Amino acid sequence: MGRLDGKVAFVTASGGAIAGATARLFGKEGAAVCCVDIVEENVKQTASDINAAGGNAMALKCDVTDDDAVKTAVKKTVTEFGKLNVCFNAAAYSEKRHRLAEMPLDMWKNVIDVNLTGMFIVARHVIPEMQTTGGGSIINVSSIYGVVGAKERPAYCAAKGGVRMLSKSIAVDYAADNIRANSIMPGPIETPRLLARNPSIEAVIERHGTRLHQKRLGKPEEIAQTALFLASDDASFTSGADMVVDAAYTAF
Amino acid sequence: MGLLDGKVSLVTAAGGGIAGAIARRFAAEGAKVCCVDINENTVNQTVTDIEKEGGTAIAKICNVASETEAKTCVNETASIFGKLEVVVNAAAASEPLHTVADMPIEVWQEVLDVNITGMFLIAKHAIPHMQVAGGGQFINISSTFGHIAWPQRPAYMATKGAVRQLTKSIALDFASDNIRANSILPGAIETNRLLARTPTMEKVRERMVPLHPIGRLGQPEDIANAAAFLASDQSSFMTGTDVFVDGGFTAI
Repeated sequence: MGRLDGKVAFVTASGGAIAGATARLFGKEGAAVCCVDIVEENVKQTASDINAAGGNAMALKCDVTDDDAVKTAVKKTVTEFGKLNVCFNAAAYSEKRHRLAEMPLDMWKNVIDVNLTGMFIVARHVIPEMQTTGGGSIINVSSIYGVVGAKERPAYCAAKGGVRMLSKSIAVDYAADNIRANSIMPGPIETPRLLARNPSIEAVIERHGTRLHQKRLGKPEEIAQTALFLASDDASFTSGADMVVDAAYTAF
Repeated sequence: MGLLDGKVSLVTAAGGGIAGAIARRFAAEGAKVCCVDINENTVNQTVTDIEKEGGTAIAKICNVASETEAKTCVNETASIFGKLEVVVNAAAASEPLHTVADMPIEVWQEVLDVNITGMFLIAKHAIPHMQVAGGGQFINISSTFGHIAWPQRPAYMATKGAVRQLTKSIALDFASDNIRANSILPGAIETNRLLARTPTMEKVRERMVPLHPIGRLGQPEDIANAAAFLASDQSSFMTGTDVFVDGGFTAI
């Protein structure tokens, strides 16, 4: 008996590490999963892995900043799976380090578009389907940098702070529709993206110093487990919350 | 001897209720003030009021969401007054009530452009002047709705959450340039904007005062008091923080 039996999930950025782990876990726990990403081959792999493990998944290429594309992707999900009740919004990227005064406007706009406006666009199309389904759970991936500042990432910080509040806005406006919305704030997680920007894991651990209390980075599966809780009926009284998953990084 | 003697400041939305009070207070404390707004009549009135009290102010008409206008406005201020050290970012759009699912994308985008991209643009062009001046202070106006939720304000809330984080980003990246950045989170303040959807202030008070432990709503001067403190040397150990001025609204 899976914790998401009978549910249908829409997972963005699921060609990537965190959302990929989440999509796989959702599939394992009985949800039908529409895996969405801007890179087709990565997301096809995720869907294929879910199906190979006995789950039920489809893959779609989609740019979350494209309103029409998202509308189509959500409609296809409902056509294929009959309903929609879970949404995991993870499409995100960080600008390369820039001090604010040296940041080109285009770079700022693009980070805001993908990380914040993209979440708004996905939410506006999944919400009506959740209303039809009788309720749902929206899980938006913010960041510890939506709570504390990060060096030389002004657009990422602003966008992730915006995500935190967008989740609360949805939670307040759609509670009567039995739709819950929460944010996850991951600390530093070991992903290929992180490794691509740094010489080694050890270098990342050393850079964060005494704030990485467990002296290790988090795993994508640890974020997926939090998402599973929020997607499930176990979280029925949890809405508008910030789930900080950072091994006490921001508590210090 | 004023709290801000000898300082040069730029205040956006200075034709409005809150920022108008801030501009007047800064001038009363000895600062020269560039009053910026998109509305010519109201900002000229602020300048007239300041000059009547013996203060020094100029008016600039500027749409903060335009990079060209933001850059020109900031550079001209520094040129006219010889330097620029204090910036109050208060420009904020006032959009009609919407939930995420019924909000047109154009409305979302406009709120983002004014409330957060505009703040980025003013900051981007002010920072080099603050560096030349040997230091500076950003006072960015967020909102209690950058921390907790309220119905039907998804874009406003997302941007006010982003403002808090952008402020922390600036605080972190420019601390070594002696630039401090703090957010003010006002609660319900009695200005024209509060009357946008309610016919009289009495009706607003009826609804809102019970939510405020202090037993009244705020006045623009309450925010001006906090802004003057944050702009002055009295707050020299404060940076990257959120100053709630809300009569206890978020404390309960």
